[in-house]
Amino acid sequence: MTIDVAHQGGAVPAPSLRRRPNLLRRIVRHWNDYAYIAPAIVVMLLVIGYPIYYTVELSFFKTPPNLAMSQKVFVGFDNYRAILTSQSFRDVTYNTLIWTVVSTFFAYVLGLGAALALNREFLGRGVLRAVLLVPYVISAVAASYVWKWLYHSDFGVIGALSVQFGFTDEPINFLDNIYTALPSLIVVNIWKEFSFAMIMLLAGLQTVPDQLLRAAQVDGANTWQRFWHVTMPHLKGVSMVTILLLVVTNLNSFIIPWIMTGGGPAGATDIWITQIYQMAFGRIRFGMASAYSVILFIVMMALGYFYVKALTRGDEAKSE
Amino acid sequence: MPDLLRRKNAPACLHGRKPRTGGVAALLVTTIIAAPGAGFATEIDISKWSPEYVKSIAGTAEFDTSAECAKVVPSDYKGRLSYWYVGPTQAQPEIDHKIDAEFWAAWKKAYPNIQTDAQSLDYNDMLNKVRTAALGNAAPMVAKFPILWGVEFAAKGQLKELKPEDVGYETSDFWPGAMKSVTYEGKTYGIPTNNETMAFIWNAKIFADAGLDPEKPPATWDDVVKYSKQIKDKLGLYGYGLVARQNAGNTPFRFMPQLWSYGGGALDETSDSPTYKTVELNNAGSKAALQAAYDMYVRDKSVPASALTNTQNENQNPFIAGQLAMMIAHPQEYAKMLDLAKNATGADKATADAVVANMRYGLLPAGPARRAVVFGGSNVHIFAPELVDGGLDLEAAKAFICFSTGPEWSTKLAWTGSNPGHLDGFTTKWMKERLDTIKFLDVTTSMLPSGIPFPVIPEQAEIMNIIVPDMLQNALTGKMTVDQAADDAARKVEDLISGM
Repeated sequence: MTIDVAHQGGAVPAPSLRRRPNLLRRIVRHWNDYAYIAPAIVVMLLVIGYPIYYTVELSFFKTPPNLAMSQKVFVGFDNYRAILTSQSFRDVTYNTLIWTVVSTFFAYVLGLGAALALNREFLGRGVLRAVLLVPYVISAVAASYVWKWLYHSDFGVIGALSVQFGFTDEPINFLDNIYTALPSLIVVNIWKEFSFAMIMLLAGLQTVPDQLLRAAQVDGANTWQRFWHVTMPHLKGVSMVTILLLVVTNLNSFIIPWIMTGGGPAGATDIWITQIYQMAFGRIRFGMASAYSVILFIVMMALGYFYVKALTRGDEAKSE
Repeated sequence: MPDLLRRKNAPACLHGRKPRTGGVAALLVTTIIAAPGAGFATEIDISKWSPEYVKSIAGTAEFDTSAECAKVVPSDYKGRLSYWYVGPTQAQPEIDHKIDAEFWAAWKKAYPNIQTDAQSLDYNDMLNKVRTAALGNAAPMVAKFPILWGVEFAAKGQLKELKPEDVGYETSDFWPGAMKSVTYEGKTYGIPTNNETMAFIWNAKIFADAGLDPEKPPATWDDVVKYSKQIKDKLGLYGYGLVARQNAGNTPFRFMPQLWSYGGGALDETSDSPTYKTVELNNAGSKAALQAAYDMYVRDKSVPASALTNTQNENQNPFIAGQLAMMIAHPQEYAKMLDLAKNATGADKATADAVVANMRYGLLPAGPARRAVVFGGSNVHIFAPELVDGGLDLEAAKAFICFSTGPEWSTKLAWTGSNPGHLDGFTTKWMKERLDTIKFLDVTTSMLPSGIPFPVIPEQAEIMNIIVPDMLQNALTGKMTVDQAADDAARKVEDLISGM
């Protein structure tokens, strides 16, 4: 068992060179502990493990809509080959990357700005904090419908204001134009997500030692230097976790693009998840959709690995 | 007196009709179904099928459902039945709930010894639930599906063959288009319960203000393009409510009639005996229809710019606000407009009331090839015995299907939103009552002979909900030219049906 001796005020022992007993031996030795968690493990295997296994299995089969699942045809890696070599995969991947990178970047930057602002004492800070949290707590479905009407290409509020104030002659076509649809959706996504980054970073800012900032100030550091050399290093861990969570969330985004544009116009807002959904439930090609899901799963697992590494880095350092 | 709707082999027809005397005694017409394109030698003369004709035959015959179905399955039959269907929801009018309750009471009375487990499911949940149940051998004995769903289960061998003759009716008792929708690879897998088609709805005041005849809808799709432009140019309002959203069933239901009218098709679904092997999405008719949509959206800008993200729901508010002049509408849309007007307040209320007063319903425009509309409705199916939870009680299933698809209940259960699947339903007193109380029902009903079902192949969902909307969007966004978009869509359909 790893003990955080530093926090207990004891001396740090030399790292143990003994090999840890293998898993089986540990299970035998602690069988009663494992017995307690066995029901949970069985449930997890059933509700998480089996679907993953079945998805992977299905990804090697062709499941045309005229065949029952029991008649599915084994095609090896054909589904993967078809997906990875298709133009639509390249288009959708491009959209997904733009969606994920831009959304994550701006959600983080805006969240950081809001967190820094809210970390200072000022009148109405509590109210402002509550207001800025609204996008995060509001239902994504409701938000999508509201934004859809705000953006509406004929009767939207934004378009009407734009005409009224003379910025444009006619309402701006946000969602029905292949060049503006994805950026418009990204704005909604950033609006929805920046509060999450704000909360995370605000929590991180509480850990920045005040005496360090004051010491830096005494040493003549200006505001930017204090931010860059004192605050940011302390936010590194929480920033890493926040960015990873935002990336994973954005790669899994479905509600906003699906409700607002359905992946259109002409595929301009089609991203991985909407494509998988459409393939499975619109085109009834479960094998192909499974292969797509496995590709996404691999990407997610890679990101998950870095996420766990980021989360446990402190623990590992302590246990050494 | 001869039967008002005489069909071939009429004496074999189970339901003994009792013609009502008086009022329609002069109606000694022998009507024959012979829809062009129908693969069935059935016989109503659809040249007579008009709003006036529909009104004239309503209330001319009576039926005793229980007595007639007892000839198929004795009324004292003891058994059990499981049945899944999309029942009335909270959003539907009270009368739908009332009729649903009356139906179950009547069924219980007719077959008191059949223990019935009926599940009313949400439309959006039902398809996936049935798919899952069929995979797990937990399907119901009988299920009522929207018209397009059955083919997937038939193709997978999950349905039992079922034709009208199995429950005492004739194939010719039903619309040929409806029978096409339950026929897969030459075999029949279901019986139509109700059928409806859409109609054309327009705002007479906008027409008048734009210098058009307020009482006449556009006769052709070319007129729609012309009228739409005229309305936009003169009034600054949107002419036609184009719907071109991706992944939305509303899109093919509104664009395919236009495509068929110009002589196009997805496959050969408009032909008398479709084989579904020939791709017609890039023929001259299909391209002409796509060009007409392009002209309205891109060239004239006479339709809402939001058409690419709109479903039909998004057309309702502009229409009731007097900002949109024409659209293709479901029979229920009139009731929806009344609801919207009722809920409007202040100045909006006056506008909405004026729009309702100026609403007109007419036939969908024709094209160079034909007048066409998507043939909609529902069908009832029996699942294969090995998939049914607890085994199939075939006699109970037959009794239920006879009872629910006959002239009486196919009329009553379709009260607000559809029409009887059984053609004799049109002669019942309940049909007359519907015509008397539901405005424009006669118009939407008279589109039925122009109904064309979507291709009855399992790939139709992908073709209609994805490939056709994609084609529209590729052309309307300028991503491709009209020709390129049509060719691209045709190639995708060819790949699809060739099994790629």
